[in-house]
Amino acid sequence: MKTKSKNGPSCSRRFFLKGLGAAGMAGALTTLSGCKDAGKPSGGEGWTPQQYNAPGSWPVQVRGRVPIDPHNPSIVRDDRKCILCGQCTEACKHVQSVEGFYGLPIKNDITCINCGQCALWCPTGAISERDDIAKVLRVIGDTRLHVIVQTAPATRIAIGEEFGMPAGSIVEGKMVAALKLLGFDRVFDTNFSADLTIMEEGTELVNRIRAAAGGHGESGHGHAPTALPQFSSCSPGWVKFCEYFYPDLLENMSTCKSPQQMLGAVAKTYYAKKKGIDPRQIVSVAIMPCTAKKFEASRSEMNSAGVMAGDPGMRDVDFVLTTRELARMIKGKGIDFVKLDPQPYDSLMGEGTGAAVIFAASGGVMEAAIRSGYFLLTGENPPESLYNLSAVRGLQGVKEASLTVPGFGELRVAVSQGLANARQLLDQIRADKQAGRSPRYHFIEFMACPGGCLSGGGQPKTSVPPSDWVRKERLHSIYTIDAKLAKKRLSHENKEVADLYADYLGKPNGDMAHRLLHTTYTDRSGQLTAKNKA
Amino acid sequence: MSKGVLVDMTKCFGCGACTVACKLWNEKKYDEVNKPTVGEAAQLVDINWTVVSKHDVTDGNGDAAWRFAKKQCLHCVDPACASSCLVGALRRTPEGPVVYHPDLCVGCRYCMVACPFNIPKYEWDKSFPKVSKCQMCFTRVVAGEQPACIAVCPNQVMQFGDRDALVREAHRRIADNGQLYVNHVFGETEVGGTAWLYLSDQPFDRLGFKTSVPQESLPAYTWQILSKLPAILLGWTAILSGIYFINKRRNAAAEGKQDTTGGPQA
Repeated sequence: MKTKSKNGPSCSRRFFLKGLGAAGMAGALTTLSGCKDAGKPSGGEGWTPQQYNAPGSWPVQVRGRVPIDPHNPSIVRDDRKCILCGQCTEACKHVQSVEGFYGLPIKNDITCINCGQCALWCPTGAISERDDIAKVLRVIGDTRLHVIVQTAPATRIAIGEEFGMPAGSIVEGKMVAALKLLGFDRVFDTNFSADLTIMEEGTELVNRIRAAAGGHGESGHGHAPTALPQFSSCSPGWVKFCEYFYPDLLENMSTCKSPQQMLGAVAKTYYAKKKGIDPRQIVSVAIMPCTAKKFEASRSEMNSAGVMAGDPGMRDVDFVLTTRELARMIKGKGIDFVKLDPQPYDSLMGEGTGAAVIFAASGGVMEAAIRSGYFLLTGENPPESLYNLSAVRGLQGVKEASLTVPGFGELRVAVSQGLANARQLLDQIRADKQAGRSPRYHFIEFMACPGGCLSGGGQPKTSVPPSDWVRKERLHSIYTIDAKLAKKRLSHENKEVADLYADYLGKPNGDMAHRLLHTTYTDRSGQLTAKNKA
Repeated sequence: MSKGVLVDMTKCFGCGACTVACKLWNEKKYDEVNKPTVGEAAQLVDINWTVVSKHDVTDGNGDAAWRFAKKQCLHCVDPACASSCLVGALRRTPEGPVVYHPDLCVGCRYCMVACPFNIPKYEWDKSFPKVSKCQMCFTRVVAGEQPACIAVCPNQVMQFGDRDALVREAHRRIADNGQLYVNHVFGETEVGGTAWLYLSDQPFDRLGFKTSVPQESLPAYTWQILSKLPAILLGWTAILSGIYFINKRRNAAAEGKQDTTGGPQA
């Protein structure tokens, strides 16, 4: 030790301690001098869209987003993708006249008609349908269950777009083939129940008109409402809108269920009975262009088949998938959709007419109802002119038509698409009603979404906001199917529907039909403070 | 002029745009599963500087209703966190925001104990954690812009401006619409006043607000004692020193006596 320290550099104990002290002092001073500059405060290194970055406290023109209840059965939102562009609010407020049309503070509900237009407008896909694919795959995989599926009219002219095909490609057969490959036990067509809807809704209309004329409907149900004009009830977004904002006009709403719910109810009764299957073993899936259909299927009263089977917990329709979800499911299974060979729908509920397929377009329900309504009123098939009722076709917000039916007189109808447009008609009808004026229309078709179901909230996404260009392509295809491809163009000529009445339901609007195919509505005006202007 | 925000909770429908604006502007992570920003389970945590909490209440007609409360740091006029901070990492700015400077923070977390509203959070799952809380978009406020959460609100629930004017505005609204609002502006006097002021049609405790806080500023409260500390310390030192010297002298005198009487020590 001693020799080593002698050889090393000399450093006295005192010098070492002094050095240590000085270094410590210098360190302390440096640290303290650093405190003079507090450094950058945390936060503020990100971004917000340009409209939010301006001096002053001016209100921003396009701002925020729509409120979405986490329990919403139709749509969900992923905050990680939300850029607060404000487009969902634009759609909700100006296209559908929902947001802004109720007072604040809110009550115990986040007002939403479940239409899903916000999902179509959302540029980042932050808002999307509630994904039920996993649930459907699970039931398909369960061999004890008999899984049936129905496809809405509008799906067959849109799903091809998801596989790179031109807008409006007609792919009905390929879609059926894909569904069979996915493992569904039976593939049915909502066109079948659209024709069924026309039989019910047309009969109801004739009954209402006859009741208004002072007579009694031939096959009218005891408690059937008689108010005119009759409103179509196929669009669940529209139905909920009416329940929220125009509950005083619910007596005008056709009591007919939508085609989706009619097929669901018939599948678990008539079809189950015919095939000898326990309805509890049947799982009913619907492929829809619509997010509101998910809500509709979950409505508590949509359990007619269950009530009949003594099991009210059983749903008429168990799962609803949007067109987009079906496309994802097909992609997930690696099915080359474009190369599929077309397949036909399965029997008992697979036949549909041209009158059913035009349900996909705004004005289509009206046109189909007029074709069969003419038959119901006169006993004869309609003249050629009623097969191309151009007055109710197209993308105008409100359309009107008037036609003369022999032996009846003038039939006045209106069609509206997009609920902001619907308000024009509804306010007019409300005013007429309050003033005691006679109704100016007999029948009005309301569709929640602009263009009708073909541009529904569950359809393949296009441009943002959705363009009329794609709507027109899809519209063209719908009317092409009706005019050129459909074997029949009249709902009352649907053989399978006629068989259903003959074998099971009896007659349109009869007791059995009322138990399975008609429904009731809920006054939802207590869940909000409605306003007429945003 | 000190800035403030007036929040009218009757206008909020719970879209949560403000929480997204906060995350975008401050680059905070999203964890809607474990740390939701909107709803019943929404809580201010390290990554959530602002949340919108949902509350089931009864409205003026006696009907069940939902109310949403936007929560974030209230930015006290006399902040206890800043007063408790040993190194000045938390400071109230003349513009109003109480801002946190992470470069100065030593991680003692006194601010978390001091805050009467339990606002500052700690980044517990980071290796080098920092304190985390709303900065009231300090850099935006300095640039003359409103905080991000306020800019994006679709219902203009929040109004940004000079605090004094907002206090008057709040009382004007209560006077104009007394049947709607409860007669209280939360934040006007709580802990001596906060930059964020709230109007509600519900008692504030039902919306998760801490109403039991004192009405005077907390630093002022502690100052009543702390200001006397130097005098107490000096006085106590003087007394103890005096006793020491007296004892020393007495001992020395006693020892001197002993020395004279006793024999020489070893």
